[in-house]
Amino acid sequence: MASNHLTGIGSESKQLATWYFTFAIILFGAQLLFGLVAAIQYVMPGFLFELLDFSVARMIHINALVVWMVFAMFGSVYWLLPDETGIETVGIKIGKLLYWVFVAAIVVVVLVYLIVQVGPADEMSIWFIHEGREYIEAPRWADWGIVVVALGFVANLFMTGIKGKQTGIVTVLMADMLAFAGLYLAGMFFTDNISVDQYWWWWVIHLWVEATWEVFVGALAAYALITIIGAKRQVVEMWLWIEVAMLFGSGILGMGHHYFWIGTPEYWWEIGALFSALEPLPLVAMFIHVLYDWGKETGLQMAEGAEGHAIAGHTITNKPAFTWIVLNAFGNFLGAGIWGFFHTLPQVNLYTHGTQFTSAHGHLAFFGAYATILIGMMYLAIQGTNGIKVLKHTKSSIAGIWMIAGGVMGMGIALTIAGYVQVLVSRAQMGATWAGYFDGQSGMWFSQAMDWRLIMGVVTFLGFAFLIKDFLSTGKNPVHER
Amino acid sequence: MAKKSVWSDNRFWQRSAAWVTGFASILLIWLTFDTSVQIAMGTDADLQNGVTKRVPGPTVINYKITYEMSTARGHEVPVIGEKELFFGRDDYSEEEAGALLHLGKLGSQTKNCMNCHTLLGNGAYYAPDLTKAWLDPAWGPEGSMQAMTGKETKEEAMAEFLQHPSTYPTHARMMPNLGITAEEAKGLVAFLKHMSSIDTNGFPRNFGKIKGAVHGK
Amino acid sequence: MIEEVAMRQDILLDDFLPLFVSSSLVLVFGGFYVGIYTAVKVNLLKKWTMPLAYIFWMLASYCLYLMGSLMHVGDFTAKALVVAAIGLLLLPHAVYYMQHHVHEENEH
Repeated sequence: MASNHLTGIGSESKQLATWYFTFAIILFGAQLLFGLVAAIQYVMPGFLFELLDFSVARMIHINALVVWMVFAMFGSVYWLLPDETGIETVGIKIGKLLYWVFVAAIVVVVLVYLIVQVGPADEMSIWFIHEGREYIEAPRWADWGIVVVALGFVANLFMTGIKGKQTGIVTVLMADMLAFAGLYLAGMFFTDNISVDQYWWWWVIHLWVEATWEVFVGALAAYALITIIGAKRQVVEMWLWIEVAMLFGSGILGMGHHYFWIGTPEYWWEIGALFSALEPLPLVAMFIHVLYDWGKETGLQMAEGAEGHAIAGHTITNKPAFTWIVLNAFGNFLGAGIWGFFHTLPQVNLYTHGTQFTSAHGHLAFFGAYATILIGMMYLAIQGTNGIKVLKHTKSSIAGIWMIAGGVMGMGIALTIAGYVQVLVSRAQMGATWAGYFDGQSGMWFSQAMDWRLIMGVVTFLGFAFLIKDFLSTGKNPVHER
Repeated sequence: MAKKSVWSDNRFWQRSAAWVTGFASILLIWLTFDTSVQIAMGTDADLQNGVTKRVPGPTVINYKITYEMSTARGHEVPVIGEKELFFGRDDYSEEEAGALLHLGKLGSQTKNCMNCHTLLGNGAYYAPDLTKAWLDPAWGPEGSMQAMTGKETKEEAMAEFLQHPSTYPTHARMMPNLGITAEEAKGLVAFLKHMSSIDTNGFPRNFGKIKGAVHGK
Repeated sequence: MIEEVAMRQDILLDDFLPLFVSSSLVLVFGGFYVGIYTAVKVNLLKKWTMPLAYIFWMLASYCLYLMGSLMHVGDFTAKALVVAAIGLLLLPHAVYYMQHHVHEENEH
């Protein structure tokens, strides 16, 4: 049974997973590339002016981000499903068809973003160009396409979970993915009332990234700990249920911190403050969970080693994946926890809302909480498809980790400094007007922070190049134990 | 096999997770009903009768809007005052004003405003926040922006800028030409004026009071 | 319930930096507290380091207090912050207590 974890050969579900991962990594590259364009525009405003404006570059930057993560999440589920349920995924042929539908739709959407860019102010533009709503800009026709694809994916997951062995991890994923797909519907309507618009917009954005995605990460980490260091399922799944309770318990009503200033009533201050203060707790719990299992398992291994009969299951079977998952536990706490907490209370958020602080938090949290563990899952897939028993670090995998993590951290710090300048100058002193805004943007600290952001963005991109090199070559590398 | 304790029973934690999630979701849905009523758009009758709504009806474009400190609330709130001309009229009917706002809201999305600007503080941070842009002194009678466009009124100056943004650079970072027509510009200005009348619980703080603000110099 | 004075007072210009630093340190120290506690429990660290964990909890609580006073929080939020501090203190105890049970049952 143990070898079942290690091989993807012969499983159609795992083959589909690798397709999903491949397109995800292409989109990840696109995200970084268009992020660089936007970062250059902060430093050199004339760059590609009226050819590829900031609005277009940034739209592709954040859309590629969301979509590559969704692709890698679907891929992760297709990867772990045969291991967890013990059977081949039900309806895998439909799954493969839907994959191509999904890819084709994304390509068309991005080409329209790039070539058409903006349309006249009418419903046709909303249906066929983009909706102009941050993160979920995809035009309405693509919304329906995404709904169909997501329903197909959820159906596959449910049919497989019901037919095969329904472990705790699969149960959590089933409930979580249903909510994840269902919430998308909250972002698919047009209204003239911008307060109502943003109220429901947050249902998609917040309940994705601060609730359902976080739970998804908890489930992936559980699977990865069992697979990589042989942690006990009973213990890991108990942690998972506790994390689900804590994440949903704080995250669902933590929504309040987005309802401070969009026209919604003042009682959201109290609700948002209370649940936001609780939101870091599950992240602390997830962090110590990894530390705990790691300590327990390596402690056990040392004890057994001393007695002279070590068990193979207790070694780390995939070093790069494990490094990324430890980075995930740490990055989730740092990016989502610390960077989220210090500007979440309404008294402070009044000044920080809509500044580069949000951007710093966004970069660190999306990377720390999601990119890391999804890259870890890709390493598991490389190990599986190449039939490797113990996957080791290579020079490229280490360079990739250091440069990507260091680059994103550097960007986060630079943006934090920029946000601080903005809070002091544009908000506290100048009262957020047009003139106040540009006073803040012209400060020396602000503009140097933007220079550093660009430099760190380039470092991240170089790290990405090492990661790709490692992805393409490590499977055939003779250093690994086969 | 040692005796099972409730704390180490997975079914106990599974049930707890389900209950906690269910409870939080129900609370959120209940609050959503309450909030939805409070942020529903008001009507023309509300405006005429002086009924304060968090989000006034579209005919608010017929009135003068100011942003004033409320001692009861402890922060600034938009105040709807006497009638004010908007593109030469102050008698837009509910249908006319609604149509303008509809056009403006559509325009705000199709022109992708949110991927440079922030609206109600949400969006990108490459350009100024537009929440209270209508109240920005720079667009007022003595403001630099109105002077730059050479127009007589705030709304005409804003509409002119939106149609030819790169003709009026205010910073090295310029707004690109987005093909905004005269009619769309009018709709967008109506949208901005309406947005400035939304009660945002005092966000942004000290707006437009560069001299009078607590930290102002 | 509505905090009438919550928004009346502006945050002083010089208070912003200590405010951001103290609120970040809340979680940094909180993380140290939980991390050291866990590490001692799984024998990655020696027993005598445990008091350090509690010192970090005290530092975290102090930073939380500092943060709350600098941003002039109202009564309700102040109570929420106290609950959060106590929650942080109890969290690893509860978790370890449960883990202990699970391991007992699995390893015997």
